[in-house]
Amino acid sequence: QHGRVKVKTTAQQEEEKRKEREKKLQIYVAARDACFTKRKDGVFDDEALQLTQQLLSSNPDFATLWNYRREILLHLETVQKIYEAELSFLESCLKVNPKSYGSWHHRGWVSARLPRPDWARELSLCDRCLSLDDRNFHCWDYRRMVVKMSGVPVKQELDFTDRLIGSNFSNYSSWHYRSTLLPLLHPQAPDTPSQYSLPPEYELVQNAFFTDPNDQSAWFYYRWLLGRGTRCVYVSREEERVAVAFSRPVNVSTFLLCFLFLVFSSEALLCLLPPGTISDVANEHNLTVHWTEKHSHRDCALYTGRSESWCRDTATDLELFRSELSVEKTSVLQSELQSVRQLQELEPLNKWCLLTIILLMRALDPLGYEKETLAHFQTLKVSTRPHIS
Amino acid sequence: LSKCVVTCFQEYTLSEYLRMSGIYWGLTVMDLMGQLQRMNRQEIIDFIKACQHECGGISASIGHDPHLLYTLSAVQILCLYDSLDAIDVEKVVDYVKGLQQEDGSFAGDKWGEIDTRFSFCAVATLALLGKMDTINVDKAVEFVLSCMNFDGGFGCRPGSESHAGQIYCCTGFLSLTGQLHQLNADLLGWWLCERQLPSGGLNGRPEKLPDVCYSWWVLASLKIIGRIHWIDKAKLRRFILACQDEETGGFADRPGDMVDPFHTLFGVAGLSLLGDEQIKAVNPVLCMPEDVLQRIGLQPDLLS
Ligand SMILES: [Zn+2]
Repeated sequence: QHGRVKVKTTAQQEEEKRKEREKKLQIYVAARDACFTKRKDGVFDDEALQLTQQLLSSNPDFATLWNYRREILLHLETVQKIYEAELSFLESCLKVNPKSYGSWHHRGWVSARLPRPDWARELSLCDRCLSLDDRNFHCWDYRRMVVKMSGVPVKQELDFTDRLIGSNFSNYSSWHYRSTLLPLLHPQAPDTPSQYSLPPEYELVQNAFFTDPNDQSAWFYYRWLLGRGTRCVYVSREEERVAVAFSRPVNVSTFLLCFLFLVFSSEALLCLLPPGTISDVANEHNLTVHWTEKHSHRDCALYTGRSESWCRDTATDLELFRSELSVEKTSVLQSELQSVRQLQELEPLNKWCLLTIILLMRALDPLGYEKETLAHFQTLKVSTRPHIS
Repeated sequence: LSKCVVTCFQEYTLSEYLRMSGIYWGLTVMDLMGQLQRMNRQEIIDFIKACQHECGGISASIGHDPHLLYTLSAVQILCLYDSLDAIDVEKVVDYVKGLQQEDGSFAGDKWGEIDTRFSFCAVATLALLGKMDTINVDKAVEFVLSCMNFDGGFGCRPGSESHAGQIYCCTGFLSLTGQLHQLNADLLGWWLCERQLPSGGLNGRPEKLPDVCYSWWVLASLKIIGRIHWIDKAKLRRFILACQDEETGGFADRPGDMVDPFHTLFGVAGLSLLGDEQIKAVNPVLCMPEDVLQRIGLQPDLLS
């Protein structure tokens, strides 16, 4: 149903086409009925395999026929040869229609039941398939299954995405894959990002967006890589409230220790303190927000004479911010900012570039960079997406 | 337009493996256009009855195997016709319940394919039947959340790349289970609104072509997370209208391509979400007319 161009035809062409379609349809219906009858009669033989093969070759989305084939395969003795034959039939199906859910699921089913599985062959099938279309998510998903079943080292897969990205930076699927592999390679989210071997990672992304600054793939990945894993606690004496902001959604029920929480969203909570609790300016108060699920906490002191205070940290507790592989070192962010600014000089109106600069500035020193960020916002507003008011 | 839907119904032997969904697409278009009475109600209800299996599941067509995809389509059609009593509802519930796995995910049928689409089908079916409490909702939510990605989107399974169709299923799922707060709505909204291309159409993933069906999935997801104003609505409207075929009235995936009921529904539903007054209001979560859901008393959550 996708990408079929509509062509104008004459009445005669139309008629010829109709006849041809009718003939094909007759053959199809006969084969289909034969399959259904056999199945109803509980026949699980070679002929049924052939009939379903004939139909599935051109209609791989006919899910019930894959089911019938599985029934036949389960009925026959588990012989390596039969399953091997099934795999080569599937390969021919995938060549014709590489995006059929049914074919890929069946391949996984067969592979998992093969008496002597050959995962190396399956991995090379994925390599070939992805070399034809590096965005085929069915194949990527199958690859992930193969990797899991056969214990392919994470590093090897990371190298694979290196190769794909090397040949085509605009490969969102590979960037995505990296985002799932990096945390596996570094299961203990490190306190020192240098252990994360991040410098090469930054280099890779920068190569990508310097090569094509308008390709969004690398920019999405870059934003994730930089992370903005901050928690922020804000205390207001006058309003007698505490606001807590998270970089990712949290489960509110763990915070019910407090007197009254108003939920703005799952990322921002507001706690109204009982009247008089912190209203005396002569007192100093130490507030602690506990994150019970992860046994971590955040202190925030409201000093004598102050009307408000706020504390933020940049993802020291990486467990809490699993998806935010944030960089603590200001120097790293500084050098990133420098690189992106270089790009911005070449591409003054590139929205991805401007947006990233704003994010970096806000992460580094929101007040110090306030003027510059506002100017960049203005440029973004005027030059890039005029419809957003 | 109605002409297109009627013709599509006549030549469908080759697509009988998805006929139940085809009927849902066609009927929903007709209902949104206020033309439901033009279809043969009794014939369709009888057909659905004949497609319910002993296990309770419903198949795409007679002779085909039951599957969650077509079970949902059938339940949606029966809701349009206010005729849920035509099938054995208890058995449908048992069927859906039986497909939930230990990790909370749902298999599409007894052959075990796992996909967040099926999580959506399961909860949408049960929500329409008012039987959500029969499954382990917490576990189901846990599984869907385990499919969330670095970009705030969702894929088919844990680790799968984000895809607009999958995001639609997962945001719809979280809406029906009352868990929309689990989303990182700004991050996801950003990714979604970047799907809009200079033509005004939306694609389903970065660096892909625009398409009417993706336009619906992205648009509906943005509506669910309260960020529909992040795209240029007028431009999208022009793109969808450019995909309408003057001759038949149906919609294609892109301007100049062949029309089909699938893209016709998502074109019409998209126009409805964009505020077209000639079309009934559509619900972004279930892709059904709002008045039908009001009758059932189902109001899925939306973020504001
Ligand atoms: Zn489409």
